[in-house]
Amino acid sequence: MTRQNINRFALIIVGVVVFGLPLVLRSPTYLHILILLYFYAYLTSSWNLVGGFAGVLPLGHSAFIGIGAYASTILSLQYGISPWIGMIVGGILATIVGILIGFPTFKMRGAYFALATIAFGEGIRVMVENIDNLGPLKINGPRGLQIPPTNIGFANYMFAGKEPYYYIILVMLVGVLALTYFISRSKLGYYLNAGGEEPEAAMSLGVNVAQAKLIAMAMSSFLTALAGTFYAQFTLYIHPKSVMSLDLSFEIAFIALIGGRGSIAGPVLGALLLRPVSDFSRIYFGATLPGLHLIIFGTVLILVMIFQPRGLQEPLTRAYNRLLDKIFGGTGQKEITHEYS
Amino acid sequence: MIYILEDAINGVLMGSIYGLTALGLTLIFGVLKVINFAHGSLLMVGMYAAYWSIILTGMHPYVALIIVAPVMYLFGYYLQDIVIKPIFKAQKDVREPITVIIVTTGVWYILDNLTLLIFGPAYRNIQDNPLKGKMLEIGEMFISVPKLWGFVTAVITAAAVYWFLQKTRMGRAIRATSLDREAASLMGINQFKVYNVAFGIGTATAGIAAVTLVPFNNIFPSVGVLFDIKGFIIVVLGGLGSIGGAILGGIIIGLIESIAPQFMTATWTEAIVYGLFLVVLFVKPSGLFGVKYDW
Amino acid sequence: MNILEIKNLVKDFGGLRAVDTLSLSIEEGQILGLIGPNGAGKSTAFNCIAGVYAPTGGEIYFSGEKINQIKPWNLCKKGLARTFQIVKPFRSKSVLYNVMVGSFVTTDKTAAAEEKALNVLKLLQFEDKKDERAGNLTIAELKRLEIARALATEPKLLLFDEVMAGLRPAEVDEMVQIIQNLRDQGITIFIIEHIMRAIMALSDRIVVIHFGKKIAEGSPQEVASDDNVIKAYLGDEYVIS
Repeated sequence: MTRQNINRFALIIVGVVVFGLPLVLRSPTYLHILILLYFYAYLTSSWNLVGGFAGVLPLGHSAFIGIGAYASTILSLQYGISPWIGMIVGGILATIVGILIGFPTFKMRGAYFALATIAFGEGIRVMVENIDNLGPLKINGPRGLQIPPTNIGFANYMFAGKEPYYYIILVMLVGVLALTYFISRSKLGYYLNAGGEEPEAAMSLGVNVAQAKLIAMAMSSFLTALAGTFYAQFTLYIHPKSVMSLDLSFEIAFIALIGGRGSIAGPVLGALLLRPVSDFSRIYFGATLPGLHLIIFGTVLILVMIFQPRGLQEPLTRAYNRLLDKIFGGTGQKEITHEYS
Repeated sequence: MIYILEDAINGVLMGSIYGLTALGLTLIFGVLKVINFAHGSLLMVGMYAAYWSIILTGMHPYVALIIVAPVMYLFGYYLQDIVIKPIFKAQKDVREPITVIIVTTGVWYILDNLTLLIFGPAYRNIQDNPLKGKMLEIGEMFISVPKLWGFVTAVITAAAVYWFLQKTRMGRAIRATSLDREAASLMGINQFKVYNVAFGIGTATAGIAAVTLVPFNNIFPSVGVLFDIKGFIIVVLGGLGSIGGAILGGIIIGLIESIAPQFMTATWTEAIVYGLFLVVLFVKPSGLFGVKYDW
Repeated sequence: MNILEIKNLVKDFGGLRAVDTLSLSIEEGQILGLIGPNGAGKSTAFNCIAGVYAPTGGEIYFSGEKINQIKPWNLCKKGLARTFQIVKPFRSKSVLYNVMVGSFVTTDKTAAAEEKALNVLKLLQFEDKKDERAGNLTIAELKRLEIARALATEPKLLLFDEVMAGLRPAEVDEMVQIIQNLRDQGITIFIIEHIMRAIMALSDRIVVIHFGKKIAEGSPQEVASDDNVIKAYLGDEYVIS
C-alpha cells in the first residue's frame, strides 16, 4: 500500500465518521460544540488563503464576517430575500471591500500591514456601531439585529434542530479545504507562496505578486463572509461586538498560526486543538477562574512560536508518518511531497 | 469659544499623557522593529503597581514613581530577555520577525487575564488622593490639575529619554542598532543587551505614564487595551522611533478627542482617529518626524 | 536586430549618479560581459534593465520595444530573465518547486510546469537534487538553482549577476560550460562578473564601466590591454583565479 493510498483511506474513514456523527450523537449540546468547532476551522482555513499562502498577517478579518452577517440579515428581515441569496450578496460585498483594503495595504511591510488591517477592521466596526439607519437600511448600531425564528425551512436558511446546521457548516468546511488543496497545487498557489517568501525573486520570474495577493484576498473575504451569514442564521442574533470584534480577528489568525499557516491541515488542526481548550475552560472554570482559557491560549501561542514557528502541523505530520511507518513499514519520509509543505 | 479653548488645553494635556504612554512603544518599535502588542498590558501592570504602592503606603501618587519606574524597567528588561529574545535568535535573518508580534500578543493575553484572575474585574480608583478632581482656575477656564502634572511629567520624561539617547554611550548604541542592527553588532555592540535595555526603558516609561494616569483614571484588567491601539496610532502618526513625534502625535490625538465631541458623537470621534491613522499609513507611513527606513 | 539596446541610460539616487549616460547593445546569440570595480554601477544598470529601478534618463530597448517603465514580471513574460547577485531561493520549498515557479510563465497547468521544470533540471544536470529543500543547498547549488529558475521562464535574454561569486575554481569551470551551453541553445547572455578567467573565456565582447560611465568596450583581448581599464584596475580588485 502506498502512503498516498493509506492517506486517502484515512481521509475516507474520517469523512464517514464526521458525516455520520449526528446519526449517532444525539445531544444538541455536543452538536453545538462541534458546529462551532467547524465554524472556527472554516474561518481559519479561509483566512489561511491570505494569511498563510500570501504570507502576510491580516488582523481585521472579522469585518468580513460582519459584512456577510449584516448583508444577509438586513436583506431577509427588511426585504424578505432568502438568506441564501443574501449570503452571496454579502460575499460579493466583502470581496469588493477586501480588494479595496488590499490595494493600498499589500504594498506595506509586515508590521504596518498588520496595523492597517486592524485599523480597517476596527474602523468598520466603529462605523456600524454608530449607525442606526443607513438610508432605508436598519442597522441598529450596538444593539444589533435579531432574527425571529419563524419561517422554518431550507429556503429561509432556518431549521428547528441542530443537524442541518451541522451539515451546512461541515460541507462549507470541506469545500474550503478542497479549494485550498487545489489552489496549493495550482499556478496561483505556487505564485502566492513564491511571492510571500521572496517577492523580488518571484517578480523576476513572472509573478505579479500584488495581483496574486489580491486574488487570494478576494477569495478569502468572500468565503469569510459566507460564514457570517451562517452565524447569523445559526444564532439568530448579530451585533458588532459578536461578529466584527478585534478579539475574533485575532483568534482566527492565531488559531491558524498555532496550527500552521500556509498548510492545509494546519488551521483545522489549530481549531481542533484550541477550541476544545477554550470551551472546556470556559465551561468548567468560567466562574472560578475567568479568562483562564485566554491565559492558556496566550501561553500556547508563545510556546509554539518559540519552538515550532511553522505551527504544530509540522511535528504532528512527522509523528503521523512515523506511526504509519511502524504499522505499515516502509519509508513514508521520502514521500513528503514537495508541492505544498 | 472659551469652552473650545478650555477643551483644547485639557486635550493637549491629556494628549501629552497619551504621548507618554506611546513613548516606550516608539522606542521599542524603532529599535526592535517589532510591534509590541503587550504594551497596553505593561501600562496596566504599571497602573496596578502604582495603585497598590499608593494604597498600601498612603503616599502621594507621584512618589510612587520611585517604586514603579525601576520595577517596570526590570520587568520589561527580563520579559524581553526571557520571552522575546529566543524568537529573535531563531529568526536572526528576518528583518522584522512577525512571530515576535504574535508572541507579544500572547504576553498581552496572559498579563491581562492573569490580572483578571488575581485581582478580579472590579474597577478601582484611588478615592482620596491629593490630585483627584482638582481643577486649576484660569480666568473662566477649568484646567485639570492631575493632567497638568501629567503634562509636566511627560515633557520631562521625553526630554530625559532624548538626552539619554543622544548623550550616553548606551543611548548611542541603541540608536545605532535601530538604524542597522548588523552593522551595529559588527561594531561590538551587543545586540541583545541593547534590546533588553530598550525594552526596559520602554516599559519604565509606561510605568511613569501609569503613575500619571492613576490619580484620575480607573484601574481594571483591560484598561491597557484602549491605550494599546491609541499608542500604535500615535506612534505611526508621530513617526517610528521619534520621541518628539510620540508626544506630538499624542497631543494631536488628545486634541481631536477633546474638540471633536463638540461637533459629533464621541464614538464618531473614534472613527475619525482610525481614519486619520489610515490616511497617515497610506500617505506618509514614516509619520511626521519619522525617518524613511528601508524596511 | 540587437536584442538589447541601451541609449544614454542614467540612474540617479538622490545626489548620486550611479549610471552615467551608458550606451551599449547586444546582438542576438552573443555573450556580452560587463565588468568594472565594485560600486561602478553594474548591478544598478542591470536593475534598470530588469525593471526594478525606473531609469532617471535614457532608453532601454528589448527586441526593438522600449521597456523603460515595464514591470519585472511583464519583462519576464517578454523573454527577459535575470539572476540575483545575492541568491534569493524559496528556501522552504524544494528545488523542483522553485524551478516550477519559473515554468508557470509559459503554462497554466501544473503537470506541464512540472515537466518543463524537470527538463530544465536535466539540462543543468541538477535533477538528482529535485526534491531537496532549497534552504539546505550549498552555495554552488544555489547559484545553479538561480540559473535553473530563470531558464525555466524560457528567456531570450538572460542577465547573470555575478553567478560565480563564491564558487571554487572547479565549480567556476562547470558554470562556464553551462553558460556556453545556454548560448548554444540560442539564448543571449549579458553577464556581470568579477572572475576574470570566466568572463574572458565566455564573452564575445566586454564593456567596462567605472563610476557609472563606460570607459572601454571591445573583445576580451582589446579590453585587457586598454590603458583606461588597466588604470581603473590598478590594485588587483579582481579575484584572479
